[in-house]
This record gives sequence, C-alpha cells and structure tokens, in this order.
Amino acid sequence: MTARDRILNAVRAGLPTPRATPDAIAAEARALLDAPEARRPALAAPGLADSFCAKAAALGTTVARLPDLAALPEAVRGYLADHGLSATLALQPAPSLAVLDWSGIERHSAIAPDEPVALGLARWGIAESGSLVIHSGPDTPILLSFLPLHHIVVLHEDRLLPHLEDYAARTAGEAPPRNAILITGPSGTTDIEGSYVRGAHGPGFLHVILIAPEARPAD
Amino acid sequence: MSAKPAPRVGLFVTCLVDAIRPRIGFAAIQLLEEAGCIVEVPLAQTCCGQPAFNSGDDADAARLARQTIAAFEGFDHVVLPSGSCAATMVHGYPDLLAGDADWAARARDLAARTHEITSFLVDVMGFRPEGRRLEASATYHDSCSGLRDLGVAAQPRALLAAVEGLQMRGLEGNDVCCGFGGTFCVKYAPISNAIVTEKAEAIQRSGADLLLAGDLGCLMNMAGKLHRSGAATRCFHTIEVLAGQADGPAIGEEG
Amino acid sequence: MSHATTRAPFKARADAALADRTLKLAIDRTTGTAEAKRAAALSAFPEFEAARARGKAIKDHVIAHLDHYLEEFERNAIASGARVHWAADDAEARAIVTRICLEADARLVTRAKSMLGEEIGLPHALADAGIERVETDLAEHIIQLAGEAPSHIIWPAMHRTREQVADLFRTGHHPPPAAEDPASMVQSARRELRAKFLGADVGISGANFLVADTGATCTVTNEGNAELTTTPPRIHIVTAGIEKLVPSTAHAFALLRLLVRSATGGEMTQYTTFHCGPKRPGDADGPEEMHIVLVDNGRSRMLADEFRAMLRCIRCGACMNHCVVYRQIGGHAYGGTYPGPMGAVLTPVLDGLAAARDLPHACTMNGRCAEVCPVGIPLPTLLRAWRARSWREGREPGAVRAGLSLWARLATRPRLYRLASRIGVRGLRLFGRGGWIARLPLAGGWTAHRDLPRPEGRTFMEQYRAWQARKGAGR
Repeated sequence: MTARDRILNAVRAGLPTPRATPDAIAAEARALLDAPEARRPALAAPGLADSFCAKAAALGTTVARLPDLAALPEAVRGYLADHGLSATLALQPAPSLAVLDWSGIERHSAIAPDEPVALGLARWGIAESGSLVIHSGPDTPILLSFLPLHHIVVLHEDRLLPHLEDYAARTAGEAPPRNAILITGPSGTTDIEGSYVRGAHGPGFLHVILIAPEARPAD
Repeated sequence: MSAKPAPRVGLFVTCLVDAIRPRIGFAAIQLLEEAGCIVEVPLAQTCCGQPAFNSGDDADAARLARQTIAAFEGFDHVVLPSGSCAATMVHGYPDLLAGDADWAARARDLAARTHEITSFLVDVMGFRPEGRRLEASATYHDSCSGLRDLGVAAQPRALLAAVEGLQMRGLEGNDVCCGFGGTFCVKYAPISNAIVTEKAEAIQRSGADLLLAGDLGCLMNMAGKLHRSGAATRCFHTIEVLAGQADGPAIGEEG
Repeated sequence: MSHATTRAPFKARADAALADRTLKLAIDRTTGTAEAKRAAALSAFPEFEAARARGKAIKDHVIAHLDHYLEEFERNAIASGARVHWAADDAEARAIVTRICLEADARLVTRAKSMLGEEIGLPHALADAGIERVETDLAEHIIQLAGEAPSHIIWPAMHRTREQVADLFRTGHHPPPAAEDPASMVQSARRELRAKFLGADVGISGANFLVADTGATCTVTNEGNAELTTTPPRIHIVTAGIEKLVPSTAHAFALLRLLVRSATGGEMTQYTTFHCGPKRPGDADGPEEMHIVLVDNGRSRMLADEFRAMLRCIRCGACMNHCVVYRQIGGHAYGGTYPGPMGAVLTPVLDGLAAARDLPHACTMNGRCAEVCPVGIPLPTLLRAWRARSWREGREPGAVRAGLSLWARLATRPRLYRLASRIGVRGLRLFGRGGWIARLPLAGGWTAHRDLPRPEGRTFMEQYRAWQARKGAGR
C-alpha cells in the first residue's frame, strides 16, 4: 500500500461513515464565511484610500499620492534625490511604465543581488491592512519585490479593495499565478531580543505611489 | 410580603480548609447565613478528588466524585470557598462521569447547583456585606480556576468594595498563576519556586498590607513564599475579610 | 525527531534552565513584548472573539472532512504542475526530501523556517546526505551558527541575547558585522545570506496553509526570506503537515488574522505568499519544479483519539508566551521540537509518552494557554488526558501511585478520613513553631522554597460539630 493510501485510510478510520458528499462539504465551507463583517476588523477610515494610507503608514510604508501616472517619473526622481540615491532604477517591464518619460534615470530590467531601488506595479491594494498584492508573471519578476533595498510600488487607487476576502473573491475561479504575494510593510525582523529592525532580507524601505482614479486610462 | 423561602445551601469546606484553616469555613457559614441561606455541612464530604483527577487517576477521582454527588444531593445550592474545587465539580465531574449511565445526569445536576462562594453571594444572592470596616490596604490575586473556569473576577471585587476603609491596590500580573498547581508545586518544586518568587515580588511591589485570594492552596503558596522572604504582607482568604475576621490571625499567625 | 531520548531528563534540563539568568533575561524580553503586543492587537480588534469562534469552526470543519480536502488539494496542486508526495512518518518525509535533492545533484539548499522541517529532522537528514544547508530565517541562521535547535516556534533564537548573537556573527560572518547593535547585525546577515539565496539549487519551505481549491501552499514571513528561498532555486520543496489544509483562500485569510495577531501582535505579516505550482511558461522567475510533501507523522492517529482538537493548532506560539512554566524554563528544557503547552501535548505524540511523560505533568493547569489560543484548543484538558493515559498505562512512579491510592482509600471513607485528619493535623503541628513550618519530612519540595502555614489545630469538621452543638444549645 502506498503512503498515500495508508494516510488516507488512517484519516478515514478516525472519521464517521458514511462520509459527507462534496456538495454538503462545500455548503458547510461557504457557511463558515458568512457575515464576514462581524468577524473582521473595520476599516481604519471611511474611504478606501484613506484607510489604506493609514494602515500603510503605521507599518512604516511611505505613501505619496499622484494625480496621474505621467507624474510618476518626477515623483521617483524626487524620491531618489531625497534618499541620496543615484538615478538608477530596476524597472518592472510593464508597458504602462515603459511609455513614461524617464529622462535622467537609468533604467534596467535585470535585478542585481544588491539592487538599490526597484519600481513595480501592484495588482491590488487592500484597505483593511495596507497590503499590496503582486502576482508573478512574464512582466512581473518576484525578485523585483525582494532584492532591492528600496521598493517603490505603484498602485492605482481604483484597484483598492476593502478587505482580504474581497481579494479572494476577485481571484476565485481564475487560474492562480505561481506566486500571489501580499506585501504589508517593509521587510523586518524581531529575531534579536524582539527588537524591530527593518530590511532583514527584503526591502528596508517600501514606498507606495497611489495614482488617483480619474488618471487611469481606460484599457 | 411573600418572601422566597431561604435556600438550603450545602457547604463543601474543601480538604485544605478542613485541615489547615477551618476559620475560612466558619467565615463562609457566617456570610451565607447573613445572605439569608440555611447552611449545612454534610459530614460525608472529604475532598473533591482534584489530586486524583489532575494526576490522571480517573478511577479514584470518579469514586470521590460519586461520593460528593451523593453527599450533596437535595441541596438547592452547593457552595465552596474555592474556585479550584468548585471548577472540579462544575467541569471535571460531568467529564469524568460522562460515560457512566447511572451518574452522568447526577453529575450534571450537581454541576448546575455548584458555585464558588463570592460569585454565589453576588450573582445568586445579590448580597453585599454591611457594616464592615477595615483600615488597611489590600491587593487581590485572581486564582486561575475560579477566574478562567468559572468567571470569578468582578464578584470578589464588588464584595470587597463594600468594606469601608479598605483600600484596594492593583497587582501586576494579578491573573498570572502563582505556581501552586496542586501536586505540581512539589513535583516540580524548582519551577514552582521560580514562579512564586516572581509573584511574591509583585505582591510586595503593590505595597499592600494584605494579600487576598479565593483559594487556600494558592494562598498557602504565596503566603509561604512571602514569609520565607521576610515580607510583612498578611494573607487572608477574601471571605475572611468579608466576614470581618481580618482582625484575627492571618495565614501563618498563631491565633 | 526525538531529542528527548538523547538528552538529560526533563527535571535536569529545567534545573539548568532555571540556573541560567541570561536565558531568563532573554525569555522575559521576548515573551514580555509578545504578550503586550498581542494584547494591544486584540484591543484594536473587537471582533476577535467572533473571529476566533469562526477560526475554530474552520479548523474543525477541515478536520472532519480531512480526507476530502487532502484529495482536493492533491488534485489541484497536480493540476498547477506541482508534484505531490505523501509521507506517513518522519523517516519517509526525510527520505523523500533528500531523494529529490540528490536526484537534482543539489549541493546547496536554502531553507525557510518550518517547524515541520524540524519535527521530521530535516536539518540532520540533509547533513547526512552531504548537502550544504543554509537557514535563511534570521533566527534559524543564528541557531544554525550556534548548532542548536529552536527554543520557540516563532522566535527560534529567543534564548540568545544580542551579546551572544554578536559573538556568533563575529566568527560566522565574513566580514564580521560592523557593529554589535541589532541593526548592524541584521545588515550583516543580509549581506552574508544574499549570495546563498541566489546560488542555491533547492529551496525548502514549510506551509502555514494548504489551500484545497487552488492547490497553493501559503507561507507567512516578516523578513522576506521565504520568497528569496523559494524563487531563485530550480526546485522548490514544501513540507507540510496534513492538518494545514483550508478549503479556500478566503478561509486562509480568516485564520491569518488570528495567527498574526496571536503570534506577534501584528495584523498581517509583511509577506503573505501563495505558491502555486512551478513557474509558468514565460514567467520572469520562479522554480522549474515544485514538490509538496504531505506529512502525517502521528496526525491521523490524533484525529482518531482524544487529541483531535490539537490538530486545530496554527502554530502561533501564544500559549508559550503566556505560560508561567515556559517563561521560567524556556523552550529547550522541553526537549522536543515544540515547546510550551502545545509542545507538551504534541511531544508525547511524536516522541512517545515514555520519553515525554514529564511534559504533560509540568503544568499548573492555570488555563491561560487555552484562554489565549486563537482556535480554542483546550490545552489543559489535553494535558490531563495525557496524564490519564500515563496512569492507565502504568507509567506513573510507584510512590505516586501508592500515595494517591492510600489517600483515595481514606478519602472515600469519610469517618476514617475525619479521624485521620484529626490525627494528621496534630502531627503536622509538631513540626512547626509559631504559625509556620519551615522544614517538613517528605514535603521538601514545599519547604525547600517556602514555609508551610501550621494547621490551626483542630479540623473544621471537629470544630463544626462543637459549633453546631453550641448553636443548638443557644436556640
């Protein structure tokens, strides 16, 4: 008998017979998600963007708000200058970013092990927790979010979802990517005497640039 | 005026009170009578069986459970000056005898009638002591079983608030175990000692004259440690203070 | 993997821990902070009780339908391109992981902290197979340098002070850290481990959740080491206990809210990552192979017996942070993979009751662990169940059995008991002076550390009969 059969047999031996039908199990599982509002935290502020910003700031994420995507390069130049960083950037190879006027900033798509700054797009933001959602894909390397010291993430305000369940609902039934990552604040550790230090392995700085909704081109 | 008939209360004094500090049992009788109860102490009681229960000796624990259930049949309420023994009767007995066709229902019936004394006085009898006065400061330790298994927290504090002149002081870690744990304190004496050492330090930091708690086991542990470390804190069961007995000898004082 | 059998007995380990004041300092710093942060997180989440009830219900639902969810997960994981392996025990799990590594000619393996990996003895198995293993979680990195096992399931190196970590890094890092403050040491570890991440052949992680309806595994970390472990290597191996299943991503989130608040007092870990199959065609990065090893190792046995509720455990560590015993002796004294109250329930399952008999007894039954458990596991009840099993199996020391049996024979004969008490308290009084007894034969465990209040002199029952007679006469 294979290990698989031995384990499943042992599990079944501990459970009552007859076993419930898949439909009955699914109905029970759905019922467990009823009334989510009574079992999750309320948003930190009435508006999604305000709630997101409040939560993100509490975690040490910095947030800038821009009227449209065209203003992004200027804002990035400002960020680099403010942090004394040279004008070089690992840029996520996304079409909406590539078309911007990046003059004065050296851009590359390969991410170096000690990359100082990388910039990418978030697929969604979660207002409840100040989280950014990133899915791996052909133009979204996962390491872009983990190797740099400074991680700049562009998030369109109209991609904000209220709660974690709303993200689950949005993606239910879709073929999942290799990685779906919720990023909630810069990398940190409390492993030495519980004292909090940023930049353990991932980025020590997380900067979100929130793009106002009307600026998003219809696609 | 149609007064409700006085409830008949069976008092379970507990084996520790019986042997070490009987005055707690008499304080219980006094308070229950003041609250309007008719109190009896069935002679067929010994120990609730917790030492056996917590040692895994289910057969002996069940024997004691049956003996106690039988001894307290017929009382409106069963009251104990201990959250720990009360919790054994409220939660332990029904679990222990769940598979016993003859005793499971009787165990549940006893459990439904059983109360720790301060919660009984407040929640069931709506009692407040009157005319009590004590010029002292005191701090209160929440004994674990009473607190977590029976929800005893507000009741002793409400009763103590009725004692004029008594100044209550906060205790750091008031809901943290004192390290007694029944046989734990002798089986794992060095660990128990480390725990009660921290507890005694917190009690001394409170600056209170008196330490009060609702379980004699915990009190003996804390009082014994305080005395060994030279502290002047005097230790009483909560109901001794409520019964106006704090002018008498504290735990470890000869009367 | 048994540590208990190869080490000193529990009491000796506990005594050594109690004598180590540096250890106590380290424990107090971390558990104290964890306790305060958890309390703050809960006060900001008034829905916690309702969320906890649901979390418990989700786990109970999964356990009640575990066969269904295992098969659904396997189906979806395979559809995503992952390979699923089943391991009935720790030896099978070790064999599967090392075989995958050896077949891939792996020389360097990175590992993201997984208590299951510790449970099945993966570190030793990789070493025995001649494979270099690099622990990437900062705490695991510290204890790897120290050659130790974790002492806490969330903060594996919590027994080490910053000064001790500095000593380890000074010799273990090339170059050594620029300074010995935590920030400089973290910076040094970042530099030291960066090359390892990118040069690894295999990355091994655990899983906090296995999502049945997608076939994804979920890891949560604050450092970002899991993603750096699972993305660059050619092969990603997940080892996970079969109790980690959840029906869907939304169910995982419901539990995640409880897990993070209970573990660190945060609301979300910095990185919550779902790993579903290997990299897709055209993906910018990711492993070419993903293997998932589903490990039973005693779990199906627990499902069938009185320890089923323990399968709810989501490994948050709150029970140990709030345990008076853990806070005195730390994690290593427990001698198993898992310390504290949850470890005292699990270690006898994993290592056998003979090797771990002390653990369920070394507990005051104060109930604080159950009070803080985010999935409502009745830990004291389970510990008592081990005591009862130990008693039934005749494992309790003869002196304890004889003593309890004698006492029970008396206590079930009230008249005899009253007589024995009368004699007993009078006898006991002979050992005391004033109100206290400072030394008592056979009760050295008590009197070595504290005084015993001397009995008043007459038992309550004696006095009560006299009192009743007086009262009757007064009427």
